Amino acid sequence: MNLGDFPIVGAVYESGADDRIYDGLLLVGPVVILLIAVLVTVFERSLIVELLAAGYVGVFLGYVLYRWMAH
Amino acid sequence: MNGTTATVGRDVGRILEALGGLMIVSIVVSLVWREWFGAVAFGASALVPLSVGYGLHRRFAGADSPSRLHGMVVAATGWLLVGVFGSLPFLLVAWGVHLGLPTTIEGTPTLAAFREPLNAVFESTSGFTGTGLTMTDNEEVLPRSLQWWRTFIEWIGGVGVIVLTTAILARPGSGSLTLYESEARSEKIHPSIVSTVRTIWWIFLLFTFVSILALFLAGMPPWDAINHAMTGLATGGFSITDNSIATYDSAAIDAALIPIMLLGSIAFPVHYLILQGDLRNFYADLQTRWVFIYMSLGSALLWAFLYVGPYDSPGAALRYGAFQFVSAATCTGFQTAVDATNVALGAWPAQAQLLVAFGMFVGGAAGSTVGGIKIIRGLTLIKGIRYHVADVFYPDSAVRRLEINGRRLTETEANREFIEATIITALWTTFLVVGTVLLLVVLPAEEYSLANAFFEVASAQGNVGLSAGITGPDSMPAVGKVAFLGHMWIGRLEIIPILVALRTLFNRGGMYP
Repeated sequence: MNLGDFPIVGAVYESGADDRIYDGLLLVGPVVILLIAVLVTVFERSLIVELLAAGYVGVFLGYVLYRWMAH
Repeated sequence: MNGTTATVGRDVGRILEALGGLMIVSIVVSLVWREWFGAVAFGASALVPLSVGYGLHRRFAGADSPSRLHGMVVAATGWLLVGVFGSLPFLLVAWGVHLGLPTTIEGTPTLAAFREPLNAVFESTSGFTGTGLTMTDNEEVLPRSLQWWRTFIEWIGGVGVIVLTTAILARPGSGSLTLYESEARSEKIHPSIVSTVRTIWWIFLLFTFVSILALFLAGMPPWDAINHAMTGLATGGFSITDNSIATYDSAAIDAALIPIMLLGSIAFPVHYLILQGDLRNFYADLQTRWVFIYMSLGSALLWAFLYVGPYDSPGAALRYGAFQFVSAATCTGFQTAVDATNVALGAWPAQAQLLVAFGMFVGGAAGSTVGGIKIIRGLTLIKGIRYHVADVFYPDSAVRRLEINGRRLTETEANREFIEATIITALWTTFLVVGTVLLLVVLPAEEYSLANAFFEVASAQGNVGLSAGITGPDSMPAVGKVAFLGHMWIGRLEIIPILVALRTLFNRGGMYP
């Protein structure tokens, strides 16, 4: 059994741009947002939380640029 | 069973089932915020569209696939009913609090406005059509459940309820394509329409997550970032704060929202290519190129109007001018120009208001989440007029082609596209003028100017949501609210499906010759 056999993961793999990085970003997106919401609620806004958000946005933008360079 | 009623009934039933599903999903948000009564209201509300939808779906299960006529009637009827049934959570929460049912939700004048069914239907229709005009006085005091419902329906409506229905209740065959096209969409990413709508949702979800985190980084609290990212990307414009984006009075947040709104105004097939590394489409695709040219020129002109007008510094004029033009032309409707921090939009000079109204009139790219007549129609009109004027200078035997977005059209094709663009623009303008006159008639004399009324109607019909201060539970007469429901409805579906549905209704009711 591989990851694509799970219901939500399979649907994401089938619907997207046939790219596992984007698929991965889509799948971890809600987890990152939930984690940030919980951390901000419990500990307030901090550098670590902001780095987490910046990491997600950075990977997305960086990967779009990477795909452009590779195109 | 065959016939228009059966086909329309079956497909509208599916749309209502999908709406019921959205309400069920929203129960989670109420539970997270411990608004138990919100969860009950969502559950009870869901029962209505689910039962009606299931009944229609089952009753007409064997109906034929929709033709073009059916598709238009389904779109018109479906969007109308979604607006009506989508008002139930507003009504139930407002009445539940008023009747003193056990709830922790606080009763406020803002919530009380939703006890009036017309206000609730207005809010729901404004949300689903991605308009953003509101019947609330102060969004901040609304229960989280209703803040979420307003956001969620705008987010869904931005892509389209039929696109949603097709994606989750997929049905292979030509019927899905017909319905898809009737919801003011025609672009395909894949040969299969079901694959296309699933990819649209995939892109939309990914961009939503990126937008939420970008707004969080710009300084918004998580709940605010979630709501504003969803309504910004959907170019809807509902806010959860009293003064829209002006509440934050932050240049960083303004700057983060501009690209989010622009993303929403670019067609999904172009996004798909860009995600695959084909960034050339930012300038190679005619509509996308013009989105940027048009936004830049409009912002520059508005900056000039504002700098020689109400703003003292060029920086302030640029910040508020660029944001408001992009917000208007992408048909989002977020507002940073308010009296609390600078100069309210309604107090801007008439030429600035009219320029913003022009932005709302044109809108962004077809195949995106925006309203207006769309850039491609504007370009088709300009090129078509030039083509027809130049025709006089050519001999009758000349074979001419009209080139639009890389397509070389024959004379017949060029005429067809030109006529379609002309009809939509003429109807759009007619409804805009009629609506403006009607609004001026029903509003208290001397209170609002012609520019204010024109701006407000253009905002409703362009599904924008910027307000010159006319829209509100008390400030707008009931006739005006009903008229605006019509403007938002025809604006979202680009008029023709509504006229076809009305003609079908009158025809079958014996009211049409």
